[in-house]
Amino acid sequence: MTWWSRLLRGNRLERDLDRELRDHLERHVADLIRDGMSEADARRNAALTFGGVERVKEDCRDARGTRWVDDLVQDIRYGVRVLRKAPVFTSVAILSLALGIGANTAIFSLVNSLLIRALPVRAPERLAILEHGSWTNPIWEQIRARQSTLFDGAVAWGNDSFDLAAGGPTQRVDGMWVSGGFFEVLGVPAMLGRTLNPEDDRRGGAPTGPAAVISYRFWQRHFSGAADVVGRPLALNGVGFTVVGVTGPDFLGPTIGRAYDVAVPLGTEPLLRGKESWLDGRSTWWLDIVLRLKPNQSIDDATLALNAVRPQIRQATLPDWSADMLKQYLGDAFSLASATAGAPQYKNRYREPLVIIMVTVSLVLLIACANIANLMLARANGRRHELSVRLAIGASQRRIARQLLTESLLLAGAGAALGLAFARWGSQLLVQQLTTYEETVSLDLSLDWRVLAFTVAVAVTTALLFGVVPALRAGRVQPTEALKEQGRSVAGERTRMLGQPLVVLQVALSLVLVVGAGLFMRTFATLATLDLGFDRDPLLIVNLDLQREGIAPDQRLPLAQRLKETARTVPGVAAAALSNLTPVSGMGWNDGVDIPGGRRYSEREMIVWLNGVTPGYFTTYGTKLLAGRDFASTDREGMAPVAIVNRAFAEKFIGGEPAKTVGRSVRIGGPPSTSPIAARQIVGVVESAAYRGPRDGTPPTVYLPLPQSEGKSWPVQCLTVRSSAGRPSLLVKSLTAALTQVDRRVSLSFLPMVDQFNGNVVRERIIAIISGFFGALALLLAGIGLYGVTSYAVSRRRVEIGIRMALGADAHTVIRLVVRRVAILVGLGVAIGAALSFYVTKFVSALVFGLEPRDPFTFVGAAVVLAAVGGLAAWLPAQRASRIDPIEVLREG
Amino acid sequence: MPAAKSDSRSDLPQGTLDMLVLKVVALGPLHGYGIAQRLQQLSRDVVQVQQGSLYPALHRLENKGLLAAEWKDSDTGREAKFYRLTRKGRAAMDVEEANWRRLAEAIGLILATSDGAV
Repeated sequence: MTWWSRLLRGNRLERDLDRELRDHLERHVADLIRDGMSEADARRNAALTFGGVERVKEDCRDARGTRWVDDLVQDIRYGVRVLRKAPVFTSVAILSLALGIGANTAIFSLVNSLLIRALPVRAPERLAILEHGSWTNPIWEQIRARQSTLFDGAVAWGNDSFDLAAGGPTQRVDGMWVSGGFFEVLGVPAMLGRTLNPEDDRRGGAPTGPAAVISYRFWQRHFSGAADVVGRPLALNGVGFTVVGVTGPDFLGPTIGRAYDVAVPLGTEPLLRGKESWLDGRSTWWLDIVLRLKPNQSIDDATLALNAVRPQIRQATLPDWSADMLKQYLGDAFSLASATAGAPQYKNRYREPLVIIMVTVSLVLLIACANIANLMLARANGRRHELSVRLAIGASQRRIARQLLTESLLLAGAGAALGLAFARWGSQLLVQQLTTYEETVSLDLSLDWRVLAFTVAVAVTTALLFGVVPALRAGRVQPTEALKEQGRSVAGERTRMLGQPLVVLQVALSLVLVVGAGLFMRTFATLATLDLGFDRDPLLIVNLDLQREGIAPDQRLPLAQRLKETARTVPGVAAAALSNLTPVSGMGWNDGVDIPGGRRYSEREMIVWLNGVTPGYFTTYGTKLLAGRDFASTDREGMAPVAIVNRAFAEKFIGGEPAKTVGRSVRIGGPPSTSPIAARQIVGVVESAAYRGPRDGTPPTVYLPLPQSEGKSWPVQCLTVRSSAGRPSLLVKSLTAALTQVDRRVSLSFLPMVDQFNGNVVRERIIAIISGFFGALALLLAGIGLYGVTSYAVSRRRVEIGIRMALGADAHTVIRLVVRRVAILVGLGVAIGAALSFYVTKFVSALVFGLEPRDPFTFVGAAVVLAAVGGLAAWLPAQRASRIDPIEVLREG
Repeated sequence: MPAAKSDSRSDLPQGTLDMLVLKVVALGPLHGYGIAQRLQQLSRDVVQVQQGSLYPALHRLENKGLLAAEWKDSDTGREAKFYRLTRKGRAAMDVEEANWRRLAEAIGLILATSDGAV
């Protein structure tokens, strides 16, 4: 019989064994009787000769080789019984484990989806992305021409968003422009219909009409999963496409963290952007390029091959730049990086916070383990009687240790199972938090083997961490000792001793987490309440997309201005203004400046931020005018070029009072030698305001009148509306009605400034929330740990305290006694924790804003908080100790 | 038959017992009691195996595939578990026997020389 069948037929083997041994005895008895013994004597004799039947059976069972499985089952059954008898301990332990393991799994699941998991395409390990930014279409065309000789194919794509609506409020969809061979080279099959081919990628689209491929998600959402979707029309930004295929549910796109809805060929881009097409833009960087390596080609080989043809590629795509910059263009080498796990956009952004969060939750898990270990030590002490009995009957120390370890594994297993459920919910919640107005973060969070393996590994490690020491100690109990005393002597002192270092460790780790929470929460608070130089709350931003069929580029500004005037008449609107960009949107427009007679810095330092605005912009935003005047309607095309600068600009380049700055001249675009642009006269100085984001402070900015700026014919203009009372989002409906009446074709995206700002600080907000939550959790766990240890110590020392009280100690002395112990523990813990924090905080300096990573207030505050928790934890046991009745205690003896 | 006095394991090392059992079973299929009897008979009462160590040995050999067991009708009318040698068992027995003889010879040589002068 094989091992397996021996395992499964245990019952039958037992019966056979019994039969066999009984048969032996019968034969022996028969022989003895034949030799002349009486039956009674024969039986006794045979039994003696045979020896212990049970012992023999045990040995035979051992020989079967399945013993350990039976033991394991036995251990598990017993463990379950024992745990059920202590419901409070079991539920507390399982809950803490579930939280700890669940949090770790949730974060790991994010890390897995974002950083580790391979793209669901054919042979993802053969993909390499062209590093360091985006690329122009001319460069792509050069690479495309060489893709079969140098590599096994190449693809390019550019992320964008399209508007399904034909005007009015936008119906935004996440889209991407892709090269013709995109789906084929990557190896993404169509679930319905077909994917794109090079024919579709001709300039202007395929002869049969522009084709679009949609994602599974979009198919379900927009077309309700209709079976006849192939061949249906789809209008993007007013241009008609035909759906030719649907991709499967697991392909979300090449950029991890972003799920695409619609993919259209690069060649159809001129249909949407018309004369402003980017396809021939030699300095328009918007494409990602990924290569598929040949079967035996390494990334280094491919890099060499690509750089070998670099001169030709660069020469063929020379942009219209200065000689210096051209030299750099020609010299810039190409470099490749593995793209197995997709394009790195989101990874780079979220890698650091995720690592920090991962460390945080690991620490929390450690603290939880320390708690449970303490609890188990206390319980093991309480079970000494039971364990001694087992030892006395013949269990080996290893067996006892194995039993306790099995209990630990049961706890960890239950905690892990519950934790997995927490993790799914938690990671989905976290990803939702990352979604902002501007992009929806989508991650495939389905359970894959890595996450499960991680959970199991964490569960087992946890069980070992908190289970090994109690198990080893339990095995070493001296049976006679434990059977004698009923737990009143000072034996067990050593067990108590072990509980204390654990608590000190807990306090130390909690301090680290509380310091972290303090730093991150204060960072977020500082950012959130920063004075941005303008009023956030009453503003509503309306992004006007004027790139529509029938609207010529030179008509855009007049149309935008008509829209602005209409907006001003809407009830509830206090002011309105147009601009090229809005603050804290993450977007930026900059250029070099030259100030005749002003301060000079290095070329890099002579770059300022720009914005084209209409009169009334500053009043709309609530930015103070410090000197001079605002723009007027007379500052338009053909009139004298003017500019308004902010205080930061004045201080940096002119270095005087704002009043002195008015009248000076400034030239945008650098020194006269490189551009013939005329100088502008500064007519006003305004207060400094934030530009790209709150972290960048309030940089030097130059404002130009919109009609006099380059940006006057940009496809998207921003209309900012200030509400006179109440929330700006309430104005959306009336504004939509009024603006669509002016021109139906313009697409409108509404966004309150508050939301735009929040989108800018989403990383900091996540970290603040998470570190705050887990810091509080750590405090709770540490508090429980302190309470447990103190309570236990008090109960062990009842006799001693009773005697002290009988000899004259009063309640205060007893309380002092208890509190002093806790104070020592907490003090040690805080000291160690502070040292740890000191070391650790240097790693998070990049994420902290507005304060030093080693900010003393935060440290002191954290220490105070922990001291308070310690005090609270010690208070109850101390009270109990002070109320011990000495007579009662002595009577128990 | 004199009753054995000791209640602990057999004096024979495990490997040797296994080999003897295989040899006994090679002579013909037997149940456990019969194997014990035959061991005693063939060794002229020197080898008295403790039943406590015989049955674990039999089961071990069966699990290793050196013996095959079958429940058959026996002379007492009851069914008994008969063990017989498998081909694998025969091969193992031959190997063990060869090793044992070589060892016994070597020991004999050593014992012979230490008696006389060096």
